[in-house]
Amino acid sequence: MRLNLLRYAMWQLRDFARDRGIALILIGLAIGTTILGPMKAMSIPFSDNSARQILATIISQVAFIAAFVALNGIVSNDRKLGYYRFLFSKPVRVPAYYAQQFVMFFVGFVAVFAVMIGLFAVLVHPVAPLAPLIYSALVFLSLGGIAFLISSLFRFDWPILVGVFLVTNILHSLIDDKEGFPQLLLRLLPPFQELPRMSAAINAGTVDSSRVFWLLGYSAICFVAGLIVLRRRPFG
Amino acid sequence: MIEFSSTGKVYKSLLGRSVTAVEEFSLQIGEGEILGIAGPNGAGKSTLISLLLGYIRPTHGSVRIDGLEPRAYVERNGIGYLSELMSVNPNWKAEDALSRFATLAGIEPGDIPGRVDAVINQLGIDEHRFKKIKALSKGNLQRLGLAQALLRDERIMVLDEPTHGLDPVWTQRFRGIVEDLRKPGKTVIIASHNLDELQRLADRVAIIDRGRLQRVVQTGYSQTTETAGVYRIAVVSGAGLMSEMFPAAVDIGGGEFEIRIAGVSELNASIARAIAGGVMVASVVPSRSVLEQQFREAVGETG
Repeated sequence: MRLNLLRYAMWQLRDFARDRGIALILIGLAIGTTILGPMKAMSIPFSDNSARQILATIISQVAFIAAFVALNGIVSNDRKLGYYRFLFSKPVRVPAYYAQQFVMFFVGFVAVFAVMIGLFAVLVHPVAPLAPLIYSALVFLSLGGIAFLISSLFRFDWPILVGVFLVTNILHSLIDDKEGFPQLLLRLLPPFQELPRMSAAINAGTVDSSRVFWLLGYSAICFVAGLIVLRRRPFG
Repeated sequence: MIEFSSTGKVYKSLLGRSVTAVEEFSLQIGEGEILGIAGPNGAGKSTLISLLLGYIRPTHGSVRIDGLEPRAYVERNGIGYLSELMSVNPNWKAEDALSRFATLAGIEPGDIPGRVDAVINQLGIDEHRFKKIKALSKGNLQRLGLAQALLRDERIMVLDEPTHGLDPVWTQRFRGIVEDLRKPGKTVIIASHNLDELQRLADRVAIIDRGRLQRVVQTGYSQTTETAGVYRIAVVSGAGLMSEMFPAAVDIGGGEFEIRIAGVSELNASIARAIAGGVMVASVVPSRSVLEQQFREAVGETG
């Protein structure tokens, strides 16, 4: 990767912090206070275990919404709003630019969750940060590749990603127990259903590595497909 | 250096409807040249520029810059580009935007503040440097766009409607900036509706209409019939003599006359005769520039 693009990474991180980071923290605070408010009102005491479980519940809810917000328009915004014109008249490879943007958004996303977990530890109850942080990173990476591909292909990526998410969940609930072709179809769909299970497994320390591999592998394939789309598809 | 070879671009909608934006376009643009591109709205100018920057690929023929596909050339070298549509995030500050583009352009980090200062001063936007893009007026936005195109000394400059939104003072200064770009090894392409501007700045002007190259016009004057046309002569005194000497002259008021002339030789002879006859001439200008005449003929409007 060329130096000019690497030097631009800090600008991309700054864009994430300003355009999305603050919104993500507000979403986290809103969901967190909704869950914690009644418990505080009833003066329920927190043990280490209950605090960990409550934080896991909050993170599992926030991470999904936050990932959708963080990944919204990661590629398509520049096309939709015409920003690509000046950006890519400079000596920059389009796929490399967006691959780096994805990495910086991931760094920003994890940093935002580190802040949220830190706030929980200071204001509610001290907790070990690693498991919720790993889960939030896993959610971003699992959705990230799929969102990246959709954003490379379509201008209005956010509704399409939500649609894919909903259709996948509906199909899983309808045909999960059926054999033959329905099972093959489910295998081809994004493995979103693995994520809620993963939250409990990470907290319990019983993660099935093959499931993690499937989640991340599916997303990685989509990410590479997105890069190929950016390489081959006209931008204007 | 830049070569369009039978280039064509057809857009297809999802419903299968085709729109031909550029058709059989062939043109070579050399180093050290300033080329103008003129054409009515929808003629294909923006498509040509998008092809040149590699934002879209031709459906027929090819575009090459130094023998490379445009995208490959841009990724290696960059092009100084001013877009007709300002394409900067409205939440960025003007100075930050220039620093970002300078970073992407490959200017060394230590040189960026100095280079940004230089273009800010050159384009007179110092008082706006800390303002957000959305707070800038159209003219200042245009100057910012030009500033980012000038950040690095690019070999190729593509300026799409560069004086759009500029006031007369900055339009004049812009001409000076473009004249400064005229250097050996540098190529400047200006797409504009403003024929007078192209006449002054460009060496040649490619006139396109309905996606096709209609003709390429040399902008300099020569002793050929190309200079035939109507000239406007303003006189300080001796207006009465003008009608006697040139019975076909049309008095358009304010001491100005329009005379149809067959070429520059006849023009010079006529002016000499008028002066010798006692007419005090203040100015002589073509009623329509050579380019304007050619343009009207090329796009099907004569007269």
